[in-house]
Amino acid sequence: MSSEFTLESEIKNNCVVIITTGYINNVGGQKIVDEFYKHHSNGINNVILNLAKSNVVNSIGISFLIEIIEKLNNTNGTLIFTNLDPSIEKTFTIMGLFQFAKKADTPDEAVKLF
Amino acid sequence: MNVVEYNNLIDKLSLQVKSFQEGFSLLSNAATLKELGTDFCRILQGNFFIRDVNIFFKKNATHEWECIIVHNEKCMEYLPYLKATHEAHIEYFNDTEFCVTATLPLTDGAMWGLVIGNKIDKSEITEIDKITLQMFLQLLDNAYQSFINQKKEKQLIFSLNHRVVQLNSLIDTGIEISKLHKTSSLLELSLERAAALTNASRGVLRIIADDGIATEIGFPGNSDILHVLSSEQRIDTGVEFKHVKYLYSLSEKESRNGIIDFDQTDEILLQAFARQVLAALENEHLHTEAIDKERMHQEIEMAATIQRKIIPQQLPQIEDYDLAGINIPSLEIGGDYYDVTKLKDGRYLLIIADVAGKGVASGLLVNTLNASLNAYVENDFQLTEVAERLNKIIFNASTPEKYITGFIALLEPESGIIEYLNAGHNPIFYADNGKLVKLDKGGLAFGMLDFSFPYESTRIQLKPGEKILFYTDGITEAMNHDDEEYTDQRLEYFFLSENSVSAETFIENLLADIKAHTKNTPQSDDITALYLSRNK
Repeated sequence: MSSEFTLESEIKNNCVVIITTGYINNVGGQKIVDEFYKHHSNGINNVILNLAKSNVVNSIGISFLIEIIEKLNNTNGTLIFTNLDPSIEKTFTIMGLFQFAKKADTPDEAVKLF
Repeated sequence: MNVVEYNNLIDKLSLQVKSFQEGFSLLSNAATLKELGTDFCRILQGNFFIRDVNIFFKKNATHEWECIIVHNEKCMEYLPYLKATHEAHIEYFNDTEFCVTATLPLTDGAMWGLVIGNKIDKSEITEIDKITLQMFLQLLDNAYQSFINQKKEKQLIFSLNHRVVQLNSLIDTGIEISKLHKTSSLLELSLERAAALTNASRGVLRIIADDGIATEIGFPGNSDILHVLSSEQRIDTGVEFKHVKYLYSLSEKESRNGIIDFDQTDEILLQAFARQVLAALENEHLHTEAIDKERMHQEIEMAATIQRKIIPQQLPQIEDYDLAGINIPSLEIGGDYYDVTKLKDGRYLLIIADVAGKGVASGLLVNTLNASLNAYVENDFQLTEVAERLNKIIFNASTPEKYITGFIALLEPESGIIEYLNAGHNPIFYADNGKLVKLDKGGLAFGMLDFSFPYESTRIQLKPGEKILFYTDGITEAMNHDDEEYTDQRLEYFFLSENSVSAETFIENLLADIKAHTKNTPQSDDITALYLSRNK
C-alpha cells in the first residue's frame, strides 16, 4: 500500500536524480515539479526520476510529469524514468510519455543514456 | 502620393505582411500564456520601435489584470483605460511615456490588455501604425484562439489516453486480483487502483463482518480514515459476500486547480472495481469449494475401493453346488453386502446384508459387520450367539437411524442342511420341490435395539435340484419411469420359472429382467443377489 509522498534528490554526473516514495498525485506531482525547477534554474538539464518506491500515480501526477518533459524539450534536456513498476510503465506508455522521455532499469543505466 | 512614396508604402506593407506571417508562426508555437504574451511583446517592439510594451491578461471581466510583461511600472496607472468591452478598444494619448492602451476581448471571455510606450525615435503614431496595430491585435486574437485550440486538443488527447488507461487498468486489475490468494492483497490493490484512476486524494475500504467487527484499509497508507469518511467530496460503493460488507469510499477528486466534484464515470469505475473484488472473492470461494469437493471425492473413491474389496471378487467352488452373486451399488459406496466363506469344519457361511441408507456411513457399518462376523466364526460358534453379538456391535457402532438387515446361512455341503437366521431382512426365496418357501425366521435387524434379543435359527435341507435366492430390496423395489416397482411377485415368478440354468446365467438373466423393467431409469438402490443351487 502506497504511503504519503516524500522525495529526495541528488546530483550525479551533472544530472539530478529525484527519488520518490508514495502516491504521485497533485501533492506528489507538485513536489516533483518544484524539485525539478530548483535544479533546472541552476542549469541542470538532465533529470532521472527513480520511481522504485512509487507504484501508484494518478493523471494529475502525470500532468506534472508532462510539464517537466515539455520544459526539458524546450531546453534540449532529457527526462529518464527508472525502476518503473510494470503497471506504471504501461500507464506511461498509453499516455504517450515515452515519446518525449526515456526509461531505464536503474539510475546507473539511465546515466549512460544522456 | 508620388511614385516613390507609393513604392515605399508597398515595400513597407510587404514587409509587414511578412512580419505578420512570421509573427503568427511564432505566436502559434507558444506553449504557455506567458510565452504568448512575451512573443507578442517582441513583435510589437520590433515593428513599432518601442521599448515599453506592457502586456496584461485577465481570465474574465470579474478577474483582476494579471501582469504578463511589464517594462515600466508607471504603466499600472493606465490600467483604468483598459475597458472590459465586447470589442477591441484602443485609446491613443499624447503623453511623455505612453501613447496607446488597447483591450482585446477573446472568445472565451478572457482579455488581453496592452499599455504601449512611446516610440524610441519619439515620432508620433501614424495612421498606418494604427492600422498595423489593429492587424497585430487581430493576429494576437487568432494566435490565442490557436493556443486555446492546441490546449484543448492536448487536454482531449490526455483525456482519451486517460480513459484508455482506466479501461486497461480495470482489465489488468481484474486479472491481477484473480491471481491473488491473499484476500487482503486484492482488497488493497483494488482500493489503490480505484483511487488512482478516479484521481481521488484518499480512499478507505471498510470490511464489516456479521458480528460488527470492522477492518479498515486506508490509501495512501497512513490516511486518516475519519477524514475520508467525513469529506463532502466523496463517493461510496459497497458489495457483500458471505455476510461480510466491503464498503469503498474515495474522497477529494484532484485537479490542477484544486479539489473538484467526482463525476458519474468515477462512480461507475469505483463500482466496477468493487464488483471485480466480489467476483474474485466468489471465485476464490468456489475454487476452495472445488478443492474440498475433489478431496472428499477422492476420499469417497478410496472408501469405495475398500468397500469393493469386502464384496468377494470370486466365490468359492462348492462341490455339487452352483453359486453366483452380484452387487451393483447405486452410489459409489453401497450399503449392501454379501459373502461366502468356507469354515474350518467344512461348512460354508453365506451372508447377505443391507444397511439402512447408503454412502460412507453405511460402508463403515458394512465393514464393521464383515470384520465382526469373520472374527466370530473363527472357532466354534452358535449362529444365534453370533447374531446377538452382531446386534450389540452394530448398535454401538451406529447412529439410531442406522441398522443392518441380514440373512446368515450355514451350509453343510454333504447333507444340504442349511441353518439360517433372518435378522429383519426381506424373506429369502427357497424352492422346495418346485414350491416357493420364504425363509423369514430369525429376529430383528442388527443394531436396531440395545438389548439381548433372542434370535432363533431354523434348519432346512437343500435337496438336489433345489435352489435359494438371497437378495436385497434394491431388486424388488427397482423403479421404472412410472415409479412402478419390480415387486416381490415378479421376483418370485422369475425365481420359480428360471430353471435348468447355471447360477451365473441365473444372475445374468435376473439383471436383464430387472433392466427390462427399469429401462433407462437411474438405479435408486443397491442391487445385490446371491444364488445357490444344488446339483446332486
